[in-house]
Amino acid sequence: MAVSFAARQEANRRKTILLLALMASLVALLVWAAGVYLGYSSVGIVPIAVGISLAGVWGSYYASDRIVLTMTGARLVDESSAPQLFNIVHEVTIAAGMPMPKVAIVEDEAPNAFATGRDPEHGVIAFTTGILRIMDREQLQGVAAHEMAHVANRDTLVSAVAATTAGAIALLSDMLVRIMWFGGGRRGNRDSRDGGNPLVLIAAIVVMILAPLAAVLLRAAVSRSRESLADATGVEFTRNPAGLRRALEALAADSTVVQQTSTAVAHVWIESPLDDSAVNKLFSTHPPLQERIAILRQMEGGVS
Amino acid sequence: MPPTAWTSTSERPRGGGWRGITGYGYGDCMGTAVILIVIIVVLGLIAVAQYNSLVRLNVGVDEAFAQIEVQLQRRSDLIPNLVETVKGYAAHEKDTFERVVNARAAATSAHGVAEVAAADGQLTQALRGLLMVAEAYPELKASANFMSLQEELAATENKVSFSRQYYNDNVRKLNATIKAVPGMWFAGIAKVTARVFYEVADPGARNAPKVQF
Repeated sequence: MAVSFAARQEANRRKTILLLALMASLVALLVWAAGVYLGYSSVGIVPIAVGISLAGVWGSYYASDRIVLTMTGARLVDESSAPQLFNIVHEVTIAAGMPMPKVAIVEDEAPNAFATGRDPEHGVIAFTTGILRIMDREQLQGVAAHEMAHVANRDTLVSAVAATTAGAIALLSDMLVRIMWFGGGRRGNRDSRDGGNPLVLIAAIVVMILAPLAAVLLRAAVSRSRESLADATGVEFTRNPAGLRRALEALAADSTVVQQTSTAVAHVWIESPLDDSAVNKLFSTHPPLQERIAILRQMEGGVS
Repeated sequence: MPPTAWTSTSERPRGGGWRGITGYGYGDCMGTAVILIVIIVVLGLIAVAQYNSLVRLNVGVDEAFAQIEVQLQRRSDLIPNLVETVKGYAAHEKDTFERVVNARAAATSAHGVAEVAAADGQLTQALRGLLMVAEAYPELKASANFMSLQEELAATENKVSFSRQYYNDNVRKLNATIKAVPGMWFAGIAKVTARVFYEVADPGARNAPKVQF
């Protein structure tokens, strides 16, 4: 059955909103747990946790272009030093009606690419030497469109929001568990209305302990929804699902893993640079390549 | 959205219970006036937003067309060099060269969307013919000059076709907006009318993004 890129975009946008709403409800759940366990005067720690998390994430969001370039050792190129790559990115910006991003090359034999930047005016798209070596012009166009789609969909902002929320949840539950550990809890609270129902208490403790894990899973799910969205938006730009599909097939066939990548920047690459087999699919920042290929095939109108 | 934020704050006087206890006559009169003012202001804000978005769509179409012209110009600029290069190896293919040169001249003097699109289609076909000729000359295909020209031409052809696609997407958005409510009510005030699509006569060119010469 043929699938339209517009429908896929709509579905993934809705998914992102749902996931971010789930993260917000997780914060609310923690506030409830804090209220039950420590009394409602303790919710004052919520803004503190969000503030600390925001302070930590904001810098890396605002300077994302410079930070990621430095961390990956990418080298900026221009029209004369990489004419074809520059042309390909320029083509895609015309299709997208967007400003030209900076184009960079990372010295790495593993085929991969990424995009970053806080807004389209500060966009950066980087390709590894490996991807430039193994892919033809049409495949590279598909990859450039996927990366340009990340810039167009402001995925640096979306992942910063997800990271902030996940960070706040981790901090919050850490604080709560510590307070609980050191006995600051029930003895002092007179404003709790639940009068010490043990089941409610246990539920609150479970929430405190499991919230960080749930936050990590939700954050990964947000990232996956943005990857699927970028695939669909990339197809909107080129109207050629086959290019990106063949590119992903080339990535699937290649077994080299990006050399110098840490988990800190894993989410920015087009293909997950981390080992796929060991890490649980739930924690992955990217949907499985085979699944993405199958969806692109459906967009080509063929039967998968 | 500013309009909704504005409404909710300004509606508070009539919505809240406190005005109800101030008595009938005075409260009614004031309440009605406030409601009327709120409605007028909200309608005004909606009208301004509609007007602005129509103007923005219209400018978007103009800009998209300008982008097509920029890319067509780039392609035009490549042609003399390309023709000279091919001539060096295939001097006797005079018909092909002539067709390209004529199509280029026609494209340079074209004005307006329909005319530019027609000339664009002619030139696209002529260029395809030229590249087909080049296929028959292995030394030409192997020359460094031709290979770099080929990449330039492939890129320019993609840029031309993407700029067409972007223009047509913008026209589609504009035309759909002014055909539907409430866009149709404001199209006249904003002096925005339906725009023509950029249609290239060459059927092969419309799905040209994957140009592989």
